[in-house]
Amino acid sequence: MMYFSYLFATGLTTGAIYALVALGIVVVYRATNVVNFAHGEMFMLAGFMAWSAHVTFGLSYLSALALAVLGAFVLSIVMYRYAFKPLMALRDPNPILLVMIGLSFVLKGAARDVWGGKGDYLTFPPLVSPEPMQFAGIMIMSQQLVVLVAALLVMAVLLLLLRYTRAGKFMQATADNAKAARLVGLRIDRVYMYTFGVGAAVAAISAVLMAPLTLLNPDMGFALFIKGFAAAVLGGLSSIAGAIVGGLILGVAEQMAAGYIETGLQEVAAFVVIVLVLIFIPNGLFGTKVARRV
Amino acid sequence: MASKLLSMRAAAVVLFALLLLVPLSGLNQYYLYIATLVLIHIILALGLNILVGYAGQLAFANAAMFGIGAYGVGLLQKHFGVPFWLGAPAGVLAAMAVGTMLALPALRLSGIYLALATLAFAQCTVWVMMHWISVTYGASGFTIKAIDFAPLPIGSDHGMYYLSWICCVLLLVLARNTIQSRIGRAFVALRDHEIAAQSLGVNLLRYKALAFAMSGFYAGVAGVLYAGVLSFVGPESFGLHQMVLQLAAIVIGGTASIAGSVLGGTLIVVIQEIVREFKFSMEIVFGALLALFVLFKPTGLIDLVHLVRPGWREKLHAAGDEARAAEAPAAAAGERTA
Repeated sequence: MMYFSYLFATGLTTGAIYALVALGIVVVYRATNVVNFAHGEMFMLAGFMAWSAHVTFGLSYLSALALAVLGAFVLSIVMYRYAFKPLMALRDPNPILLVMIGLSFVLKGAARDVWGGKGDYLTFPPLVSPEPMQFAGIMIMSQQLVVLVAALLVMAVLLLLLRYTRAGKFMQATADNAKAARLVGLRIDRVYMYTFGVGAAVAAISAVLMAPLTLLNPDMGFALFIKGFAAAVLGGLSSIAGAIVGGLILGVAEQMAAGYIETGLQEVAAFVVIVLVLIFIPNGLFGTKVARRV
Repeated sequence: MASKLLSMRAAAVVLFALLLLVPLSGLNQYYLYIATLVLIHIILALGLNILVGYAGQLAFANAAMFGIGAYGVGLLQKHFGVPFWLGAPAGVLAAMAVGTMLALPALRLSGIYLALATLAFAQCTVWVMMHWISVTYGASGFTIKAIDFAPLPIGSDHGMYYLSWICCVLLLVLARNTIQSRIGRAFVALRDHEIAAQSLGVNLLRYKALAFAMSGFYAGVAGVLYAGVLSFVGPESFGLHQMVLQLAAIVIGGTASIAGSVLGGTLIVVIQEIVREFKFSMEIVFGALLALFVLFKPTGLIDLVHLVRPGWREKLHAAGDEARAAEAPAAAAGERTA
């Protein structure tokens, strides 16, 4: 039971991070119909930027977080402006996907050049004491608790922003029907741009939250993107609630598979989830069925 | 007559005839090895272009098929002592079978869904190569014996070069003939509009399965040759990096173009060697090339042929079929205007 609760708590923590990454993917997908393949690279870069700010320049954790969020936001807006925008109008989704893959490789290579080569892992100093503590019969590390609470907070704030602010309503309107949004006078091009920015900002927050729990390396972006995409697809790809539930399920399932069956399964669980979900329940748990357009 | 001499077919014949002479020119081992890699990457680019360029299925499993071919022939030799000549067809068949299987998700998925489902499958394949250590020897890979061309009076390196040359020429002709047949036109039709293609009587299951099977077959042949050339098989060669390399090949050369595949397959090997020589980052160079070409030169470098021959385009029908093709505008409507 002790072991189970330990796995469960760890699973919930990583799951909350996956949920945040998935949330970024879903917010962008709903508005633009594009899955941002470079989303994971935003996560990775934000982690490294925060590391530089916090460890190299000695800024406080919170200002490092703010810098990383700002950096990711600006970078993704630049990427949208110069790389994605010219391809958004095409009916064919493949060119934009290829550009994103190309750019994600460029970012990964750049991070490898700047922050260290293959197998070089950077450690992020812990925020709170690494002592585990008892919480309602579950053993949990205080850092995990911080991550879990912060992740839930970010989700709540994001949901409120989407629902109650003007910018959030613009995004919802564009997500619902881009043509109608344009007709009532929304500059959907800008909405797309800021949506990519918001997605990257969420990725940056999750990266900085996760950084003290894990090690930073240039290949983590792709790994986290795959986990986030698996969570998003499990939740239906267009559902915000689905992304959160999908992330938590994936996090817990991964820990259980690793703890009870075979350690290596943790790496491959997300891939298996993607393949199985896409083949057997392509609309996910919360997605709406979309009729094929002729 | 002069225009006949300048035709792409004549250029291709001359090019490959020259390539046949490469080993005789007394080049050192390194250049012979590079030339062999060029031939292998041309095969890979041809197969991927049939699937992505012509049939429009953006699948990310080609690197895994490449690996399955290599592992197939390598493991058969390692565990059971099966000679290369017997193991090679088995490796190719395995890659082709797995490739065909991937057509099933492709029936329901397209775009990013298909890309990520196949990518996830490919990563699972690499994971198995890394973790099923008792069979695959894990992350460090394994070496196989140099291929013996015994009755023929040539060494392993030259033998592999000629074998790759033969495979490359045969597969090039096969790709050209397929694309110029009704199969190629069906691929293009389902790329441009699946439902329109269906309403014209194109059987989606059959043609998608065929496209996936063909790319699996090409990747399998390339994988078998790759294992033979290196005498080594390891999981690192078949991951995401290899996939981006192959995508870059067809995008740089020209998607939906046979000549573009030859050009792109050649270029990426050359670029890779240059990048290695100057110790640049492979990831930055190939990622940037892929993104820049899609953004600014989506037709690929093969488009530059138009500077010399403005009217040139690759046909989707055989030479004698022109009259018949003119009577069937439906089939020709699918041709993408350059």
